[in-house]
Order: sequence, then structure tokens, then C-alpha cells
Amino acid sequence: MTTRIEVERAWGQAATGEALVMREGFSPRYDLDRTTGIISRIGHSAEGATLKDKIVFIPTVKGGVAGGWAFLDILGKGYAPAGFVFGRINPVMVQGAVLARLPIMSGWKSDALALVRSGDIVRLDPRAMTVEVLERKG
Amino acid sequence: MDTGTLQLTSEEQAMLRGEQGPAVQQALQYQIEVGTFFGARRMVPITNAHFMGDIEVMGDAGLAHLQDMAGLHAQCRVDTSTNARCMDFAAAQCLGQDPGEVEKERKVIQILRDMRMVTTDTCINYQTVYQPKLGEHVAWGDTGTVIYANSVFGARTNFESGNAGLSAALTGRTPAYGFHLDECRRGSIAVDLRTELTDTADWGAIGRIVGHPNQDYFAVPVIEGVRDMPSSDSLKHLGCSLASYGSMAMYHIVGVTPEAPTARAAFGGREPQQRMTITRDDLEAVYQSYRYVPGANNVVVFSGPQQSLLEMRTLAELFAGRKVADGMRVFVTTNHSILADARRLGYADTLAEAGVTILEGVCFYILQRLSRIREENGWTNLVSNSAKIVNTITAHRFNTVLRRTRDCVDIACTGELA
Repeated sequence: MTTRIEVERAWGQAATGEALVMREGFSPRYDLDRTTGIISRIGHSAEGATLKDKIVFIPTVKGGVAGGWAFLDILGKGYAPAGFVFGRINPVMVQGAVLARLPIMSGWKSDALALVRSGDIVRLDPRAMTVEVLERKG
Repeated sequence: MDTGTLQLTSEEQAMLRGEQGPAVQQALQYQIEVGTFFGARRMVPITNAHFMGDIEVMGDAGLAHLQDMAGLHAQCRVDTSTNARCMDFAAAQCLGQDPGEVEKERKVIQILRDMRMVTTDTCINYQTVYQPKLGEHVAWGDTGTVIYANSVFGARTNFESGNAGLSAALTGRTPAYGFHLDECRRGSIAVDLRTELTDTADWGAIGRIVGHPNQDYFAVPVIEGVRDMPSSDSLKHLGCSLASYGSMAMYHIVGVTPEAPTARAAFGGREPQQRMTITRDDLEAVYQSYRYVPGANNVVVFSGPQQSLLEMRTLAELFAGRKVADGMRVFVTTNHSILADARRLGYADTLAEAGVTILEGVCFYILQRLSRIREENGWTNLVSNSAKIVNTITAHRFNTVLRRTRDCVDIACTGELA
């Protein structure tokens, strides 16, 4: 059976990519090496993972205003994710994603952390406000 | 014209048609997209903006965007100050920052000045530049500034990062969602404080205790039990820490902040969604939660946020007649106006004689090339009295430790990691 998750808010174009599921909050300032696109905070649940081309699932946010520029910056450097799906969100993530034209969603109505695993192939449809798991990681 | 969820005034409709130039048109289009995400129904006029953007966080793509907007003759229509930068030009070479990035940072500053921004280079504009009034709508682009504006002044702003702050400066308005609206400003977490707070670091620790387990931009803690009237610096450290650990944009302190004459008023008639009690043991547990790791070279930092003049005086008094120990480096950051006063009053000389490095117009954790600077200097532990900076700097792989101000100075001057 197809797994489909509804969200409360969404912006951007549809996107498909491999999921990267974080287990904790995220800030591009605190957690990300913006010169490589790799999660660098010691002990972060996604430490060592790259954001590049991923659909990133993040339960909540930390900080901070860096995201307002950071997503455009990593897009320019070639490390941008394909999209973001947040549980809880702040305006910074939206402001940054809209500037970088990266699709972004928030407010999952069923627990995305339980339903999606890193490595799954997922599709974001901001117009329909849904996330769909297309393919499970083998 | 796609106006999303927003109903625009006739002036705003003219802006969107491009009648006030392409920069304003582009800025308003962007604001409509962001505002629609949050279901904003209208724009609200602002009196003041605070812009965050330096080359470290903007990168070449951000600089190109800024240049594009400058090419469209973008001009701020409200008073706009700028946030702390990623380099102090006088220290950039000593620190080993990239000469190419130095030149780009100079370009950024010139573009902002050409747009009519006042390049104050400060994250404490609320202490030194502009103090909005109760109910005044502003658009501020640094989390510490936002939470101070909402909580202490009773002004109204969301986090307005990067292009959002710029857009607000250009259009003179911002989408009315979040903390511009009464319903978002009501308390949601009841915090019963049952301990004395004796240092700004204690206030930051409270921010971690409340913020870390409750990461939610729309959560608003209401603190009761504060025994003595807190100073501006205490409230600064509380807010910066709540904003950092919890991504929060507002708090109330009953009997202290303007929208909390009583707990009932702070909660706006609704029941708290959560209750917390904080004891002396909880506070001490924060300090005990940090562990040093072995390392010959370490750094003590008084930054994040920049130091006020009163904090500069305190540091000068604590460092007077002492010397920074071998293997330790000490950095203090502040803004231009405070440093000028600190020089006039002798605080800067006292700190320099002790071996403290003062950086001007920057914040330590946003320094350009910081990861490499850490590696080149072999810095292992970063000790600070700022609960915010021990959280924000971790992408650069420092081992961070929070200590009270006097303890930080002792650590700096003895080299003993206590």
C-alpha cells in the first residue's frame, strides 16, 4: 500500500528524491558544513550525511537566521537538497527555501519519522500538500 | 496578479504592478510567497528593519542576489540597520581569513550603504541603535534582536532573515502572520523559576532548559518567580538562548515584560499547554553537563551576542591586573559605538593589557573560515558565558563549555579547565 503523508503548509514545485530523515532539530548554522553540504555537528543524528539532492525530513528547527541565505548559498555551491519536509517550522526556513526556489513543507499530519526511512524514494507534491513514498529502501 | 492569501491595499497593488520600480515589485512578490505559506491575510507597515547578511552566510550566490537588487536601484524606505559581520577588517589577516572573501565583504557593505542601510554591524541594535515601542511593527533579522523586540519592548516582529529583512526594508511592510498577531503572542509554557540567577550565564542556562526540549517557533514561555528586576544584559542572554535552543521568538516574565503585568494577561486567558519548574539543581545540572576534552590550546569567548558597554566594564574589572594564560586565547566582540566608548573609558586598554583580543563589528561564531581557523590554532575547547554561542558554534566542531563570567575569566587566566 502506498504511504502518503498530508502536510499543513507547502510551497514550491513538485520534487522527487531520496529521503534523508533527521531525528532532531536542524539549523544550517549549527549543524551543517556549508562548504561541503555535509552535516558536521558532532553527535547529530545525520552527522556525515550530505544534503545534496536529498528530500530532507526534519522534525523541528533550531535557531537561527542563517537559513535565510544558507539554502541559496549551498544551491550555488552545488550541494542543495531537492526539498524540505518539516514537522514544526520557523519563518527562516521558508524565507530561505523560497529565495532558493527549493520546495518546502511543514506540519506533517501523520508521523513522517515513523513512516519514512532514509534511503526511501519520496515525492513531494506541494500543490496537493502530500508526501508519497514511491520506493522503499531495499 | 497572484496575491496568494493576502489582500493588498491599492498602494501595494501598485507596487506589485511595478509602479514603484522593479526592486520593490520583486521584494513584494517574495513577501507574498512567504506570507502565503503562513496564511497571512494582509501586509502590515513597519517603522524599522534590521538586515542580516555577510559574505560567510550569503556566499557568492547571496552576493549576486544583492548585486541584482542593487542593479534594480533598491533603496530602503524605512530606517535599516545591519547585523554583526563575519570579519573585522583590522584582524582579518591575523586570523587567517581569505583575502578574496575580505574584498567580497567590503563589496557587501558598500552595496548595503548604497541602499541607504546604516551599517551598524551589530546584533545588539536594541541596546545601541533603536528601541521600538509597545505595539510597534518592525522587521528584524537576527533571532536575538527579534526575541528582545517582542518580549522586552512589546514590539512586533517575526524572524526576518536575509532577503526577508531586505524585502521589508524595500517595501516598508511585512506579511502579518506570527508575532504581528495577538493570538501568537499569548503564553503557552508556564515556567516556575525557583532559583536565584546571579550571572548572565544563568539567564542563558534558563534559555537552554526551557528551549531545548520545546523547540517550537510558536511556543511562548511565561516565567514566574523572578526575584530581582533583571538587567537588559540578563534579558539579552535569556532571549538569545531561547531563540537558539528553542527557535523561540518571544517570552514573558510576569511583572517585568510589558505584556505580562500578570500571568493571566501573559497567557491571554488560555491554559498553559505545559508547565515546568526550574530549581537550583536544574541550573547547576546545566553547567555540570559540559565535559572538557583533552587539548593543549583552548579559547574563551565573550560574544554571541556582542558585549554591551556594561559587560565590557565587567570584563575589564575582572581581567584588570591579570594575564591570559599560555595555551589560552580570549576573544571579546562588540560593536563600533561600544568599542569607541570602551576605549574612551579605558576598558579596552585594560583588556588589551591582559592579552584579550577585541574584535569589532563581528560575532565570533559567524567569523568567515572559522573551522579552518580552529584547526590552524589547534583550539579544542571553547569556553563561554554565552549559552547561545556554545550551541551555535558546534558546526565548527569545537567542544563547547558554558561557565559563569567570573569562572570564564579565571579559566582564561589560569589555563585550568574548571
